Amino acid sequence: MNALLLLTVANIKSFTRDRAALFWTLAFPLIFVILFGSIFSGGNNQRSIGFADLDATPASAQLASAFKAIDGVKLVDGSEADLVAMMKKGEVAAVIVVPKGYADTVAAKAGPATVTVYTDPSQSSADGATRQLVGFVLSAVNQAATGQPPAVEPTFAPIQTADLTFISYLVPSILGMSLMQLGVFSAVPLVADRQKLILKRLQATPLRRWQLVGSNVLMRLLIAVFQTVIIVGVGSSLYKVQIAGSWPLIGALILLGSLAFIALGYVIASFATTEESANGMTSVVQFPLMFLSGTFFPIDAMPDALKTVARALPLTYLGDGLRQVMVDGTPFAPLWVCFAFLAVWLVACFAIAARFFKWQ
Amino acid sequence: MTTTSTAADPVIRVTGLHKRYGETRAVDGVSFEVPAGTVFGLLGPNGAGKSTTVEILEGLRTPDSGEVRVLGVDAVHHQDDLKPRIGVSLQTAALYPKLTVVEVLDLFRSFYPRGRATGELVSLMDLDEKRTTRTQDLSGGQRQRLSVALALVNDPELVFLDEPTTGMDPAARRALWDVVLGLRAQGRTVLLTTHYMEEAEILCDRLAIMDHGHILEEGTVNELISRRFKERAVRFDRIDGLADERLAAMAGVSSVKHENGEVLLYTRDVPATIGAVLDASEALGVEPANLGVRRATLEDVFLDLTGRALRD
Repeated sequence: MNALLLLTVANIKSFTRDRAALFWTLAFPLIFVILFGSIFSGGNNQRSIGFADLDATPASAQLASAFKAIDGVKLVDGSEADLVAMMKKGEVAAVIVVPKGYADTVAAKAGPATVTVYTDPSQSSADGATRQLVGFVLSAVNQAATGQPPAVEPTFAPIQTADLTFISYLVPSILGMSLMQLGVFSAVPLVADRQKLILKRLQATPLRRWQLVGSNVLMRLLIAVFQTVIIVGVGSSLYKVQIAGSWPLIGALILLGSLAFIALGYVIASFATTEESANGMTSVVQFPLMFLSGTFFPIDAMPDALKTVARALPLTYLGDGLRQVMVDGTPFAPLWVCFAFLAVWLVACFAIAARFFKWQ
Repeated sequence: MTTTSTAADPVIRVTGLHKRYGETRAVDGVSFEVPAGTVFGLLGPNGAGKSTTVEILEGLRTPDSGEVRVLGVDAVHHQDDLKPRIGVSLQTAALYPKLTVVEVLDLFRSFYPRGRATGELVSLMDLDEKRTTRTQDLSGGQRQRLSVALALVNDPELVFLDEPTTGMDPAARRALWDVVLGLRAQGRTVLLTTHYMEEAEILCDRLAIMDHGHILEEGTVNELISRRFKERAVRFDRIDGLADERLAAMAGVSSVKHENGEVLLYTRDVPATIGAVLDASEALGVEPANLGVRRATLEDVFLDLTGRALRD
């Protein structure tokens, strides 16, 4: 028992003293989370709109505050020419120009006052949002001017639909990807230890093989826990990703997934003879898994041929299962299928490694 | 149980050992015994079958045929009974590169129920200044010393040292010799392979010379030498005017050889030959430089047995 423990500690020390291993298992997935997180969740609710007030009366100021009152809108004051120039550079999404004499025209009720809105129809969503926004504000202004109460008024009741935000899709996917890398990369130090005759030297001691394998697996599982904490922690603290599922179920899936990919690592180590070839084979295995298993975009969005490939890959089921239990994601396969596929994968890889792995 | 042995039994008894790799017969009918409390050397060039033999004794390889009893245990079928009692240093020091000297020693110590304190082994192998150095940053000789320290971590009854002094400087080599002789003084048995003749002559109580998977000759150093070389040689720097015919006719001389500007007179009667050399050189008015007597060495035995020098 003492030997198992000390060997696990030794493995952890070797791991943490290896910068490349640290980067790939801890920094690399975090970079993905932070990169995609800041692209897809930050900033885009805030709309800057240019507001050129040529009238400068209490009425036009009232109009400005009506726009400012809307959530997520930021008004930028300036001259019409300056603001149009800014819009062309993409610094504001639209420009509203309140003409001189606006207040007088409104007060006189002699026909509608005109407010010019610069908008870019080629930016369809921004254009649509601007038109809605301006329409909403002006209808309120019109109503106030006529003094009539509105006939119909909407009430907005937000509900969570199955449609995930991209970042909540991404966090469990990246976790699945990191567990895959953690497992598959177990091949490299294993082959290195064999190449350096460390496995042979250990064979001359009373250490049992199950202790050797057990300490490797134990070390990887501890790192898997660490990875989960970091990735989920960053996802939920920085990008407000809500973890919905039960932790025992999440834990079980992480355990089974890690074991399945560690077993895959042992299969690679059974056929790689040098540290370099283990590295190469690991890359050959991990990149298709990374990109064809629905890590960065849903499998449903892939062409049929690739869908067939995805159906055969273990990371598909780990990622899918994690999304289901962590963020209530739309299932690609039923959860029990995810568990079953990973279990079969684990047994198959274990059998192959047990048959072909060489200690010397 | 297979662990019944008495003090009189040899620590190692190998009978009719064979191991082939494909077409190569790495070990081809090897038999020898190592008595308890002795240092036994396996000598031979690379590829002679020394390491294969040693690794079979260590339980790391399975022979094709032959019987191996180590410490009274059948080393082929009951290796697990043996492992706690032996210490092993492989030909290439196998060390976790990212761990420090002390960490590796503590780790290996944890594999055994009993053993020696880490600090004691660090001092014994003169690694005190390298305690917290990662093994990847050690020099070749330091790695070798750590490898020997690891072989002693369980305080073994029998120690296997495969080429232990390779890569060591002369001082470290001498220090290791003291360690080996210290083990013998404690009654431990040591089996070592080497291709340094001096090392074998100083350390080994008995040795076996191996080549092409066979043991060519086995015995104490003196036995090996006297069995082949009954004569000694009188040597001196070449003297002009002393022709080979005159040298060959001197008292006791059986043959004349030249080696690196040196004359070697093989003789059955050393004093008579030296007297004749001194008379002849006096007559020429010179004094023979570097006059001396050379005994045949292990190197000569080896050369005679295999037709090649050991360190080729």
